[in-house]
Amino acid sequence: MIAFEHVGKRYGGRFEALAHLNFRVARGEMVFLTGHSGAGKSSLLRLIMRLEKPSRGRVVVAGHDIAQLHASQVPFYRRQIGVVFQDHQLLFDRSVFRNVSLPLEIQGLEPREAARRVRAALDKVGLLYREKALPMELSGGEQQRVGIARAVVNKPALLLADEPTGNLDPQLSADIMALFEDFNRIGTTVMIASHDLALIARLRHRILRLRDGRLVADERAV
Amino acid sequence: MKRAATPRPTGAAPSKRHAAKVPAEPPAARSGARSQQTRFSSRLRAWGRHHRAMALDSLYRLIRHPMGNLLTMLAIAIALVLPAALWLTLDSAKLLDAELDESATLTIYLELSVDASQATRIEEAVVADEDVAQTRLITPEQGMAEFQQSLGLDDTLAGLEDNPLPTSIVIYPQSVEPTAIKQLAVRLETFSGVDEVRVDLAWVERLRHLADLGRRVALALGVLFGFGVLLVVGNTIRLAVESRRREIEVVMLIGATHAFVRRPFLYSGAWYGVGGGLLALGLLGLGNHWLAMPVAALAASYGANFVLPQLDVTGSTILLSCSTLLGWLGAWLAVTRHLASIRPR
Ligand SMILES: Nc1ncnc2c1ncn2[C@@H]1O[C@H](COP(=O)(O)OP(=O)(O)OP(=O)(O)O)[C@@H](O)[C@H]1O
Ligand SMILES: [Mg+2]
Repeated sequence: MIAFEHVGKRYGGRFEALAHLNFRVARGEMVFLTGHSGAGKSSLLRLIMRLEKPSRGRVVVAGHDIAQLHASQVPFYRRQIGVVFQDHQLLFDRSVFRNVSLPLEIQGLEPREAARRVRAALDKVGLLYREKALPMELSGGEQQRVGIARAVVNKPALLLADEPTGNLDPQLSADIMALFEDFNRIGTTVMIASHDLALIARLRHRILRLRDGRLVADERAV
Repeated sequence: MKRAATPRPTGAAPSKRHAAKVPAEPPAARSGARSQQTRFSSRLRAWGRHHRAMALDSLYRLIRHPMGNLLTMLAIAIALVLPAALWLTLDSAKLLDAELDESATLTIYLELSVDASQATRIEEAVVADEDVAQTRLITPEQGMAEFQQSLGLDDTLAGLEDNPLPTSIVIYPQSVEPTAIKQLAVRLETFSGVDEVRVDLAWVERLRHLADLGRRVALALGVLFGFGVLLVVGNTIRLAVESRRREIEVVMLIGATHAFVRRPFLYSGAWYGVGGGLLALGLLGLGNHWLAMPVAALAASYGANFVLPQLDVTGSTILLSCSTLLGWLGAWLAVTRHLASIRPR
């Protein structure tokens, strides 16, 4: 599903955020990405989303070198990836419901079908009863869950999450991770960047460890 | 409804381009002519739905901040009113022109020694000329009467014993073409008994040149003020884009096309244009009402029957379409220029 081939990423010419990345993620796999702050986790995910292009090497997703995508194709590519952002990226002037329905709106899904899917997604993250609330009225953890609902509402084949449990208490974190595992079980490829080493270790999935932009360990679950 | 003038596939519009597919469903679900067909029509419906939603959404945003938006529309209206009013005036000047053509005449003054019967003979000779349509003989007595009347000086001139005026013939030519009239004048001068031929064409021509100049000025003003409308709308939309920058970044992060992002702003621009156009029509009507009385009085004092022209249905439609189009275009330029600088973070 995802292949990094000798990928390097420089910001502003000199600073090397990522270097010599080589790995593959198979279809239907669930992978954790970890490393210290500034190790390059977000940068790696941004490369997959094609928010950045690699300075060196190739990023291949579903058999396509995504650097080759024409600018007009990029939106259609992005629609097929569900992303939970480190900073939520919610719109604060619309309700939880409308935030979650945004990807479906962009795709032009018929409103009744869209509403059904939005409610299903909100139900999964346990926020159905807050659908009319504004994001401002929610706690940080609840906002995070709205972001997750938005990422999965579209039933993407690939799910990327950047610190999805950053603001959650341990119990809720475990619940959210279980949710990701549910999606993984029905065939979704899942890649999660996280600091929460204890939680990750417990879950027994593959772990990619970054340090200063380099892949220092690729631990397969036993 | 308008489509963004861009070759890019729109938000939900049918498109032949495919991004790298990350297949979520088995390929079988995507094949088959029928499912292609339904996909196409459902996409078309989705596209129409988004247009409708954005048209209403942008209208709602406009109404929510009536004051600022009204000022923008007023600026557009003012920019449109000036060239439109000038054009209208010139259009009515054209009607006046026709009236002037009718009144284009030559006057020949006969020598003082010519008596009444000679004068009649000369008039007959003049009528025989193929370029002459009609003539009117004015005897010295008639001339004096008209003169006195026009000056309102009955008593003063009544004291004159000798009538100093010559017999004159007013000639209405067949053609109002300046060169034809000049040739006619040259011919008439050779007639015996003719003292002087006076052609009063200079002012007719001057008026024509003036009208021509006016039309060019109106056109130039139209183009200039059209740019003004573009700038006004462009600036307003630029601010709107800036204030919704965050939203734009987010929707682009999750796969919105440029056309999708642009759409609500294009509708805003078009609404500004519609509002500005309607206001301009209102202002023109108001101006007409305001000026009608004095203009009619002025025209009457010249013995002319002239009413201020009003924009008819066609004219109003043209004005409204132009302003709508300008608003849309201004928005398009502003959004397109601005979108290039917005990259999702
Ligand atoms: N747009 C950018 N321009 C310049 N440098 C950048 C940019 N984005 C990231 N960096 C740098 O690249 C390095 C990796 O950043 P990245 O956000 O990928 O780290 P991270 O592993 O996600 O960290 P955290 O756990 O704090 O989120 C950092 O040193 C950061 O300063
Ligand atoms: Mg990060």
